[in-house]
Amino acid sequence: MSDRDRMTSAPSLADALRALPQAAPQPDLWPDLAQALAARRRRPWRRYALPAALAAGIAMLALAPLSTTTLPPAVPTQTAATTKADTPPTADAELAALHQRSQALERWIASATVAPLDSRDLMAAVEVEDMIGLVDVQLGATRGDADALPLWRQRVTLLEDLATIRANRYAIAAN
Amino acid sequence: MPATKSRAAASDRLVSASSFQIDVPETTLARARRGDLRALEQIYRAFERPAYSLALRLLGNVENAREVVHDAMLHLLERIGQFRGDAPFWGWLRQIVVNEALMKLRRERGIAFEELPEDDGTPSAEPAPWMLADVAHLESALARLPPLTRSVLWLYHVEEYTHQEIAEMTGKSVSFSKSQVMRGSSRLRDLLDPALSELHEEAAPCLTATA
Repeated sequence: MSDRDRMTSAPSLADALRALPQAAPQPDLWPDLAQALAARRRRPWRRYALPAALAAGIAMLALAPLSTTTLPPAVPTQTAATTKADTPPTADAELAALHQRSQALERWIASATVAPLDSRDLMAAVEVEDMIGLVDVQLGATRGDADALPLWRQRVTLLEDLATIRANRYAIAAN
Repeated sequence: MPATKSRAAASDRLVSASSFQIDVPETTLARARRGDLRALEQIYRAFERPAYSLALRLLGNVENAREVVHDAMLHLLERIGQFRGDAPFWGWLRQIVVNEALMKLRRERGIAFEELPEDDGTPSAEPAPWMLADVAHLESALARLPPLTRSVLWLYHVEEYTHQEIAEMTGKSVSFSKSQVMRGSSRLRDLLDPALSELHEEAAPCLTATA
């Protein structure tokens, strides 16, 4: 039956079904939902607290060279230029490729968000996105390409996972 | 309720498309994205009836429908910060409710075919029985359809999904969706026909949910 048929063959059935009264869940679902939402906002403190702590740490590290007397020995103080010199040319090429791949994946994911995700994929997607956020915070703390390379690899892997979730929106129905 | 009254009442409620098609103000969405609980409740209240009614029509069970709406709403409201506004909000929610309901239907009931006579497709001079039926009779007849047949009929006629979309969502073929719409309509016609309804008391369903 084509969409045109839908309009001509049995329009009265569609109208009759649409005219059936709507119902609301009884008892009211909102109190449970509000409680669950509030609990989930409290529970995953690590989701927000860890990136926040890292961000705070980054800010302190950025200010550290201004007061070297208080700088712990483990804090890297090398400049981006010196790090660049230490990085093999192959790493440069890999880093450039990872940047490119990352951008391509992000563009694809942004275009794929029009498609709704089912609840299971929604849950998976939010976890992966949180992990990407964490990697981004860590990337903000790197002082050179050598530090950044493993993080960019991790970021691309996570983006690929996210793209897979986005691409499989009908996977459950097809199973 | 007499048929004429029910039809008059029905026509007052007629809508041109899915009752899900509710636009959420951008200001409400913005507040909800910031985690404003009152904005989240506003969104919930706007959609609780269409969401629950859809789940109830697909599942035919009050408790299961409540569970589906609860889970769908929770997932949606948790993720609302990531809603980019590049697709209608109501479409996003409706798809989640449909997916959750179909998953539950699949999980809790194995769906097996039973033979049902083909709809002969002969147009009748008589008005369709659902035009004359009151709400209670139509509700009752709808409830007697097998769950998957009822779901396909509802998704097609009320939510206006295409056969292709229904096939993808149910994991069946396009022809399956088409045949369920035709046979479901035919079965509904028979169930609402007083002369035939007694015969159908003993008839086997076209699709049977197996435990």
